[in-house]
Amino acid sequence: QVKVQCQKGIPASLRARCWPLLCGASNRMKQHENLYKALDEQPALQSWVDVIERDLDRQFPFHEMFQSKDGHGQRGLFRVLKAYTQYQPEDGYCQAQGPVAAVLLMNMPAQAFWCLVQISEQYLPGYYSPLLEGVLFDAAMLTWVLKKTCPAAHKHLQNHGVEPLMFATDWLMCLFTRHLPFNTLLRVWDLFFCYGVRVLLQVAAVLVRRVLGRAEQRKQCQGQMETLERLRGLCSGLFLYSSGILNSFCVVVGHAVFLGCKLSAIMFGWVAYVKITSTWMQGLKVCGSR
Amino acid sequence: MAKQYDVLFRLLLLGDSGVGKTCLLCRFTDNEFHPSHISTIGVDFKMKTLLIDGIKVRIQIWDTAGQERYQTITKQYYRRAQGIFLVYDITSERSFQHIMKWASDVDEYAPDKVQKILVGNKSDEVDKRQVATEQGVKLAKAYGMDFFETSAFTNHNISETFTRLAEQVLAANKKDLDLLRTSINDELNLAALEEEEGLCDSAAGDQHKGCWC
Repeated sequence: QVKVQCQKGIPASLRARCWPLLCGASNRMKQHENLYKALDEQPALQSWVDVIERDLDRQFPFHEMFQSKDGHGQRGLFRVLKAYTQYQPEDGYCQAQGPVAAVLLMNMPAQAFWCLVQISEQYLPGYYSPLLEGVLFDAAMLTWVLKKTCPAAHKHLQNHGVEPLMFATDWLMCLFTRHLPFNTLLRVWDLFFCYGVRVLLQVAAVLVRRVLGRAEQRKQCQGQMETLERLRGLCSGLFLYSSGILNSFCVVVGHAVFLGCKLSAIMFGWVAYVKITSTWMQGLKVCGSR
Repeated sequence: MAKQYDVLFRLLLLGDSGVGKTCLLCRFTDNEFHPSHISTIGVDFKMKTLLIDGIKVRIQIWDTAGQERYQTITKQYYRRAQGIFLVYDITSERSFQHIMKWASDVDEYAPDKVQKILVGNKSDEVDKRQVATEQGVKLAKAYGMDFFETSAFTNHNISETFTRLAEQVLAANKKDLDLLRTSINDELNLAALEEEEGLCDSAAGDQHKGCWC
């Protein structure tokens, strides 16, 4: 029942309550009722504090919440990340946790810490640890997923020496926070909290297929750099246009494409959605150049 | 279709987190500076073509995440680099001290022939300076590298630094270069040749391989 609802998308008004329940953060919070408060009050290792402070204004520099140095966004982010280094001293702080914690704070400040704990420990173990073994493993998994779901693209990547770690490290580690329009991101996270890491791999595979799925697309990317430029460019393009009018556009497309679909169907719908947005963006550019 | 360049090679930006590697790169390739930007996760890259001594040099510049744990991922790029920027922040003594660690990693993982250059960034922030210019000069001398103080903010010494390293890489591979001069129409893809170890078919390819592998 819950899974079906997640596929349809969690209503914005309920998201703040659903995510912590889905990922188990609510339970953890109950079990360790005053732990976060205690960690928050204790000082952390100065070396971690320095690294975290240097990153506070490098997460969502254009988001209102994170713009001012002493604003509640940056302060909240500091507290959550600092507490995590005390909670899990062997892991400390990994830079990719910054954008993830920021998105959690935007949605549910009170449970953000425990959601981050659940993501780092249960959903993506080894993603933020000193050796990043989880990332290395899932990058290899992505190769396998691509081989299964889009052999032509997989072969193209192999021929040109393009490995998933070259283009998908930040996709996976930041859970697409920097790569998808915000409304789409929230929908992907709805699914992620429900189904776990395979959602990330599937979204990554869809993005790759969007760039290299057709023979003529592959022909245009003759070389490692050309291929990488396309793969990286797809997301930065969406990222740049994600604010303002495009967002409202996404919602409409999102509803039409996503509603009532099965997971795989959603991901296919995604291709259509990205296609539409990029055509639309090209239109914008043409208008701009005139 | 004729290639847009004569030579292709890879440069790598290394240094602690927050020293301004991404800003240096953005200033060089796009002539832009964003005071607020996002931290690099994993690796990113940009391309630019320079004209040096009448040769069109296409450079790929790989930008790496500075946090130590990303070295699991970034180290595999060391051995593919022909030139490396070691970047520190003149307002951070710590980032300067870490140059030693970065340099020893380069010695360990990069090819022997790799060209290096030392860069002290944020030279515009005079009030916050913690590392004197002389310290940079001295360290560079000890390592036998060239040294530049740069500012991505004011665009000070940026293109000079990148061009210098590109020239050094070209000079270090003069043999290939001379070959190129005699047959300027042939594409000489240094980076690709290096990867195709033992797979070069043509006689010309074998000659390159002798120098590059």
